[in-house]
Amino acid sequence: MSQRRVAITGLGLISPYGGDLADYFDRLLAGESAVRYLLTDDLPRPLSIPFVSCPGFDPDTVLGKPLASMMDRFAQLGMAAAFAAWDDAGLTRSAGEESRDSWGCAWGTALGGTLAYEKGYRELWQKGRERLSPLAVILGMNNAANAHISIQLGLGGVSMSHTVACASSAIAIGEAFRRVRSGEATVMVTGGSDVPQAYGVARAWEALRVMAPGDANSSPSACRPFAADRRGLVLGEGGAALILEDWDHATARGARIHGELVGYGTSCDHTHLVRPEVAGQLRALQATLDDAGLSADDIDYVNAHGTATAEGDPVEVGALRALFGERAAQVPVSATKSMHGHLLGAAGAIEAISTVLALREQAIPPTAHLAGNLDPACEGVDHVLEGRSGLRLRTALSNSFAFGGSNAVLAFRAADAGNA
Amino acid sequence: MDSLGLIREFLKDRLGVEPDRVTLEAPLAALGVDSLMMLELMFEFEDRFGIKLATDLQTPKTVGEMIALMDGLIASQKP
Repeated sequence: MSQRRVAITGLGLISPYGGDLADYFDRLLAGESAVRYLLTDDLPRPLSIPFVSCPGFDPDTVLGKPLASMMDRFAQLGMAAAFAAWDDAGLTRSAGEESRDSWGCAWGTALGGTLAYEKGYRELWQKGRERLSPLAVILGMNNAANAHISIQLGLGGVSMSHTVACASSAIAIGEAFRRVRSGEATVMVTGGSDVPQAYGVARAWEALRVMAPGDANSSPSACRPFAADRRGLVLGEGGAALILEDWDHATARGARIHGELVGYGTSCDHTHLVRPEVAGQLRALQATLDDAGLSADDIDYVNAHGTATAEGDPVEVGALRALFGERAAQVPVSATKSMHGHLLGAAGAIEAISTVLALREQAIPPTAHLAGNLDPACEGVDHVLEGRSGLRLRTALSNSFAFGGSNAVLAFRAADAGNA
Repeated sequence: MDSLGLIREFLKDRLGVEPDRVTLEAPLAALGVDSLMMLELMFEFEDRFGIKLATDLQTPKTVGEMIALMDGLIASQKP
């Protein structure tokens, strides 16, 4: 079977900034951080961390109470993002005459319904309850988001979830991409969502000593990828969705095409659970170029994984230096996590959207808080210190490198570049 | 609050069902109550009235049947 081209016809984001996609990208270009100080009322020891949340997201308003009440917040964020992407693609919520039996959903989440489980633990162990809500299982299950999305949109093909830590949604997008490219699916809803503000989850990350500290004043600049004084990552909640569609199907219905997904590669470091390796990341990068039929010279921008950890950042830059060789210093690289934080299972999806918007708008968002502050160990690529616009961008990569050594890279092309 | 009031409040909150539709003869399924929501509704009675539900409790089909079942349990389990 000949391979199909894969159009991106819908983008949906439950943005920490609270606005629409254009507003989101404008804020990224301006280097505006969404990181804020989070102080919870948990006893005896409240969470006190820099965090990215979506305070404007009201699931009852967006989804309606009957639907929202059947979901944990991770699924609510995912469902809302999927609806937004679906509407953005100009597709109708209810199926018309065209069968959706080959349309599907591939979703990423690292944590799934952790908030539901945590609520259950509190009921059992703190309040001494003998039983839980009958909804506890369906709220907590990791495939809740994709199940709801498939039900609400009438998708009769594959419905699956991917749990690969920080690479979850990048891998979900890649697996969805393969299904559309092969012709197995005409349309795939893909993306990811997560809610790392669960008390036990945040405490677990804290114990790893990779969380950036911060207070009310310093939190907005707490996440500083590639910076000499970086202190670690900043977690955040969110949902991000893309509609991948057979190119011919999209053009036949006159859909607006935001960009094209042209390649996907994966690898495993197979060396250590939390210490990344240049060789493993390089294999994923090269596999992506091979998959897309591209060379390293074709790449105009890299949206880095860039978590701002001591271990991760120099290794990623090392992999990019190895990939691009002598040209590395001319390849623009930025880590948008410096502004929207690390959304764990949604990280790959929000960064995929950021990369697609960069190609669509011909502009590159910066790594915030990096100017004059670069770690010498992270030198060797063209770090984007301020937003750049008016560019000529054709092809870009988005990196997602997870704990466990699982690496995933996506390659995107500007919508008009493939026909040039 | 009595049993009918609890059912009306629950269905208004969760499904937006207007209270005047919640009559004794109304089938619960027709009001939008599926098997999961049936359990939720029964557990709401447990919480509000302090009763214990047996695991093999019969499943009521109408609002009136549910009220009769719950009122019976409330009466039999009064301290």
